[in-house]
Amino acid sequence: MTLSVALGPDTQESTQTGTGTSTEVLSAPDIPWNLVIWNDPVNLMSYVSYVFRTYFGYSEAKSNKLMLEVHKKGRSIVAHGSKEQVEQHAVAMHGYGLWATVEKATGGGPASGKGKGKRG
Amino acid sequence: MAKAFKYGIKGITGYLEPAERDLLRSLFDDVVSMLEPEERADQDPLAALVGLDAEAREPEDRALRRLLPSVSKTDAAASLEFRRYTERSLRESKIGALKAASLGLDKDELVLTPADARHWSTALNDVRLVLAERLDIRDDEDAGHVHLMQDWSQAEDVESYLALVYNFTTWLQESLVQAMLQSLDTRR
Repeated sequence: MTLSVALGPDTQESTQTGTGTSTEVLSAPDIPWNLVIWNDPVNLMSYVSYVFRTYFGYSEAKSNKLMLEVHKKGRSIVAHGSKEQVEQHAVAMHGYGLWATVEKATGGGPASGKGKGKRG
Repeated sequence: MAKAFKYGIKGITGYLEPAERDLLRSLFDDVVSMLEPEERADQDPLAALVGLDAEAREPEDRALRRLLPSVSKTDAAASLEFRRYTERSLRESKIGALKAASLGLDKDELVLTPADARHWSTALNDVRLVLAERLDIRDDEDAGHVHLMQDWSQAEDVESYLALVYNFTTWLQESLVQAMLQSLDTRR
C-alpha cells in the first residue's frame, strides 16, 4: 500500500520570508518512521474514521479504508514521517483515545534490543 | 429518556434527562480524578511548569495505561523517555476536555459548538475506555456480549450496571460522532 507523507494540520508549510531559501530538504527515503494505529474493541468505527478525516485531513474514502484495515487486520500504518513528526501524531492520537505507537519503517520484527517492555 | 445528538440549523443538539446528566457528570469526574497527576512535595516546580515529569512511569492500572499508552511496543526505554516529556500535558488536555464536557451539563437541552463537540467526543471516548477495562472487554466478542445488556430492570449487580452505563455512553457517542460527520459533509 502506498501512502502519501501525512502532515498534520498543525505542521503547515512555513511561508518563505524574504530572501530565505531552505537549506535542508528531507526527501522521502530519509524519513523512515511509521505511525501505527492498533485495533481495540472499544473505539467506534465512526469515531476512528472521524479522527482520520479531521486530524490528518484525509478524504472520507481514505479514512474509511484505513479504519477498516485497523479493524480487520488489527493494525494499520496511517502516516509516516520523521521520528519527531510521528511522535507528535502519536500523542495527538492518544489525546483522542486511539491506541497509537511509532516504529521504524524498516519492516520485519523488532531489532534485538534491550529493555523489552512488559506486556499486560 | 435522552435523545440522540443531531446536526441541524442550530448546530449539534441533544437532550438529556437530569438523572442522565448526573450520571455523566460523575463519570467525567471519575476519569478526571484518575488522570490528575499526584502532586509531590519534592517536585521541581519549573519542570512541572513546562510539562516535564522526570518521575513518570508506565501506569500499573490497566485503564490508565489505556488512556496514556506507551509510544513504542518494543522499546521500553524510549517509551519511558517520551512519557516523561509528554504525559503531563496529555493528562492535562484530557482533563480539560472532561471538565469542559462536565460544565456543559448544566441544562437538559444541549447545543454544542464544534469545540464543545470535540470535547464531548473525546470525553465520552475516555469514559468508555475506562468502563471497558472495568468490564474486561478484551475483544469484539466480549464487546458483543456486553452490548446485549440493554434492560435497566436487569441491573442487579455492579457488572450489569456498568454494562448498561457502557452501552448508554456508546450510544450517546455514536450519535454525537454521526452528527459531527454530518456537519463535516455539510460544510464541504
